Amino acid sequence: MSAVLELTDVTRVHGEGPAAVQALRAVSFRAHAGELVAVMGPSGSGKSTLLTLAGGLDRPTDGRVVVEGVELGALGNDERARMRRTSIGYVFQGFNLIPALTAAENVALSRELDGVAARTARAEARRVLEEVGIGDLADRFPDDMSGGQQQRVAIARAVVGERRLILADEPTGALDTETGEEILRLLRARCDAGAAGVLVTHEARHAAWADRVVFLRDGRVVDETGAESVDLLTEPAAR
Amino acid sequence: MSASTRGGWRVALRLARREALRRKGQTVLMLVLICLPVVAVTAAAIVWRTQDVSSAESVDRRMGSADALVETTGADRVVQGFDPYDSFGTFGEDDLSPGPNLGRGDVEAVLDVLGHDRPVIPLDRDSRLFETDRGVGDMEVVTTDLAHPLADGLLERVEGKYPPGPGEVVVNQALASRGPGIGDTLTVIRKTADGEKTLDLEVVGIAESTENRGYELAAGLPGAFGETENPTGRWLVGGGPVSWDDVRALNAIGVLVASRQVLTDPPPESALDPVAGGFDEPVDQVVVSVLALVGVMVLLEVVLLAGPAFAVRAKAQAHTLALVAAAGGTPGQARRTVLASGVVIGGLGGVLGVGIGIGIGAVAVPVAQLFDTTRFGPFDVPWPLLLLVAGFGFLSAVLAAVVPAFSASRQDVVAVLAGRRGERRLSVRSPFLGLALLGAGVAGAAVGAGTSGRGGGAGSVLIAGSALVSVVGMILVVPVVIALVARSAARLPLALRFAARDASRHRTRTVPAVAAVGATVAGVVALGIAVSSQEAANADAYVPMLPDGYGSVALSADADRSAVVDVLGRSLRDDQVVDVRGVQTSTDQGELEFEFRQGGDVLMLSHWGTLGSSYVVGAKVPDYVDLSADARAEADAVLDAGGLVLMRSERSYPEGYPAPELDGGPVTVDVRRWSPEEEASTATDVASAAAPSAVVEVSRSSPAVVLFSPRLLERLGLETSTVGMFIYGPVSEEAEKDLQEALAALPTAAYLYVERGYQPDAAVRIVQVVLAALGGILMLGGTLTATFLALSDARPDLATMAAVGARPRTRRTVAAAYALVVGGVGAVLGAPVGFIPGLAISQPLTRSWETGATAVDVPWLLILTVVAGLPLLTAAAVGACARGRLPLTARID
Ligand SMILES: Nc1ncnc2c1ncn2[C@@H]1O[C@H](COP(=O)(O)OP(=O)(O)O)[C@@H](O)[C@H]1O
Ligand SMILES: [Mg+2]
Repeated sequence: MSAVLELTDVTRVHGEGPAAVQALRAVSFRAHAGELVAVMGPSGSGKSTLLTLAGGLDRPTDGRVVVEGVELGALGNDERARMRRTSIGYVFQGFNLIPALTAAENVALSRELDGVAARTARAEARRVLEEVGIGDLADRFPDDMSGGQQQRVAIARAVVGERRLILADEPTGALDTETGEEILRLLRARCDAGAAGVLVTHEARHAAWADRVVFLRDGRVVDETGAESVDLLTEPAAR
Repeated sequence: MSASTRGGWRVALRLARREALRRKGQTVLMLVLICLPVVAVTAAAIVWRTQDVSSAESVDRRMGSADALVETTGADRVVQGFDPYDSFGTFGEDDLSPGPNLGRGDVEAVLDVLGHDRPVIPLDRDSRLFETDRGVGDMEVVTTDLAHPLADGLLERVEGKYPPGPGEVVVNQALASRGPGIGDTLTVIRKTADGEKTLDLEVVGIAESTENRGYELAAGLPGAFGETENPTGRWLVGGGPVSWDDVRALNAIGVLVASRQVLTDPPPESALDPVAGGFDEPVDQVVVSVLALVGVMVLLEVVLLAGPAFAVRAKAQAHTLALVAAAGGTPGQARRTVLASGVVIGGLGGVLGVGIGIGIGAVAVPVAQLFDTTRFGPFDVPWPLLLLVAGFGFLSAVLAAVVPAFSASRQDVVAVLAGRRGERRLSVRSPFLGLALLGAGVAGAAVGAGTSGRGGGAGSVLIAGSALVSVVGMILVVPVVIALVARSAARLPLALRFAARDASRHRTRTVPAVAAVGATVAGVVALGIAVSSQEAANADAYVPMLPDGYGSVALSADADRSAVVDVLGRSLRDDQVVDVRGVQTSTDQGELEFEFRQGGDVLMLSHWGTLGSSYVVGAKVPDYVDLSADARAEADAVLDAGGLVLMRSERSYPEGYPAPELDGGPVTVDVRRWSPEEEASTATDVASAAAPSAVVEVSRSSPAVVLFSPRLLERLGLETSTVGMFIYGPVSEEAEKDLQEALAALPTAAYLYVERGYQPDAAVRIVQVVLAALGGILMLGGTLTATFLALSDARPDLATMAAVGARPRTRRTVAAAYALVVGGVGAVLGAPVGFIPGLAISQPLTRSWETGATAVDVPWLLILTVVAGLPLLTAAAVGACARGRLPLTARID
């Protein structure tokens, strides 16, 4: 099975000289179709950097980032933008939605930017919103939705158009436990349906939804385990 | 356009629309900035077009309900445009003189062409004198068969009886207000070869001409006001449309025709005789170029004023833009999204501005009519022009969004998503480009200043273009200056330091605001210098005739001296008035001409004079000539010897004239008389004599040119008479007014002149005040919008300040400091930039065509007020208006 996302020896340095920060150091990482990978680590360990590189929002200082067989580093700005429209979906911790657009419009955004007719895009968006269970809220504006509903819309936006790589940066951080679980279930379902997912989280409980957990510390992968062992590793510290 | 670009625009426009609704306050501000010029130009265009009466619109007022107005010319043949008022030419023997007295018979010739079954009435317009309550006035008289249906529409009944019958007239309100109202008698005075004749008519009604009001007018039946002096046969013709072919046929017999059908629905241009078609005025390239440049500058100003608003909106949208990027938006999409704000605001602003402008125009038209005697045409909305104006509004908004759009497309998406933000680094190149442009502006202006004197308007165009280049250069320098101000702010008080650094950190909104203030100040300074310099040149060129407050009366040859003295005695003391004796040069026998020679050279003398003659006489120098004791003694000696004295003042000989330098020897005087015929006047030598002479310097300008001794005039055989009076000052303005009125009432001509020194044109004053006010408003507007946008933008920072215990007053002081930074930097940058075109344009404006001398006057007070006063004033106003309360929470979206 080929990897949907493949990072090879990726290094990202911010700034120069003595002020340089090594956000990632020679990280190699894969996510396959049907797989949900959790990325854990303390704050500042490089988790978000890994996601922005994977999503083509940022370029590595060194190393290769390949999404669905395409090396992002070789692409120009516009082509990377196109990859985000067709292959990569993003979910952030909060403020995920454009306040001036309705739920359906938010979801349809990447499709419309890709040149799909407004009506078609809207219809697709409604279908995905149904799938995440909020079909009835399609015409609401984000300000009129709860945090959980907003995150569902965000997930819908990330997956619409059959995108196969979903990058979620602490998507449940701003939600209560129960709502958070709902969001993760959706993510899990999406991966079961064939997408590759990367879930950044610092809650061990959430990692349980993942097939695999990657630990980052100071920009390095320090451990990689199956999800079952996560409890053992982190529970004592959490208590 | 590819599908994804189209989709991108769709999304961008949707976002812009929604954003406009979400941030209503900001949107209103943007709309106001974009709308105002559109509203102003639209309203002005409507008043202008409505006031302007086109040929088609003038049909009713010119021909009533008739189908044509025909007019004989006396020429064999005429060629006319579609409207004979616009252009016509005559051919044949009788080209110039008005036609013979054409009677009913000539109508027959007209009807031979048009058909004899048409109704025809004569229509005549002439002028007459009439007796007013206080004297005599001028009026226009219209005579036609007012009861005839063809005359419907020429006049509008206001009250009383209409139409008048035989022996009756209707008058308009302007005439009635001077005396003869309804029921009164209108006494018409007619000057004929054998004296004045009067004619009494009964005023039965008030009616207004549909063409104009304000001028006195009376209307009656044909012949009501007596015979017309030089009648042209003019008739209203009815009975169906008069075609262009009919017009041509009548032209062939020397008749001009204004045809309703031709005027309302003109045939193609090709139907015109090529002679008549060639009367178009040439378009003045210079005027067009300067207008275009002014348009560009106004556009630039609007763009700069609106710029900060778009910058702030783009910044508020930063998170949205980052999300769009995460969802697959290209950098181009970010640009599109911000530009779309310009499109939405510009489109709305253009339409709204035109709409409001039409409304204001509708209100302004009747007001403008009050100040204009010509009746306006029907309410006229010049749609193609308004489309252009709306397009201007649209363009200004889109342009205002361009810079924010480009910075938005370069924003660091990851940083924004992570909640960090920061302005991009300063461009190193743009300030140098700016300096280069400023240099080019100076060079262009200098070249333009040099050339315009000779080359006509090309120089003005160059100067205006250079002004534009300089302003653009200044805009490019603004960011560095802001950064420098911020860097040197370390020692300043907290509020100023905060304001300076904030201004520097948020350059996308600060730069256009500062530039707008700078451009405004530059404009005010440039125009100020131009206007002051021109005033200075005018004042320089002014030659006073008399000491300030002194006066003189010039009498014509047939004037009644004692009547004039009587009148003067009413307002002045006897000892204020002295007679001026001299040679009356202008009499029934023609015009006398003097020439003075010495050693074969003709002496160039000016011909100034307010005393009735430039050639005065005296056995001694009259007291009213202001001379030093030495000069007076010298002059008296020459007069005593039967000579003549040439009076010279520095001011009466424009530089470049050879001021007469006499060698002390005799001067020869030649006198010629030009015969009284206007054309083909001939000169006959009257007399010639040589006499001792002297030149004296008079301190001011001389009231006369030459002072003859009585003996010399006797030798020349010339008579002396009282040519005028000299009035010792002071003559009050009130006395002057009374005297003017009283002298005007005398049957013979006597002209009073009172020296008041150089009087600046009232229009110039008004222009100056309007400029200053406009400059102030623009500056205030630019600074205020930028400041309040900055305050709303700086909410989070202010919230932080509140959290760490800043006093409520801090917000006020920060606001005032921000206004001071924006206004101050703008003014300090703009003022020197204004000097470039200001100094340049003052050269061609003031260059004397005689001497090539130019004047420059810098209105320092105005500049100081604008540079120092206005920013302080704005800061104070902002400080007073800003809400003192600090926001405690920051909203993020
Ligand atoms: N634009 C940037 N400039 C400088 N340092 C950065 C920048 N972005 C991230 N960093 C640094 O890189 C490291 C990794 O950051 P990040 O990936 O956001 O960590 P995490 O998401 O795990 O908390 C941190 O030390 C952070 O301060
Ligand atoms: Mg993070």
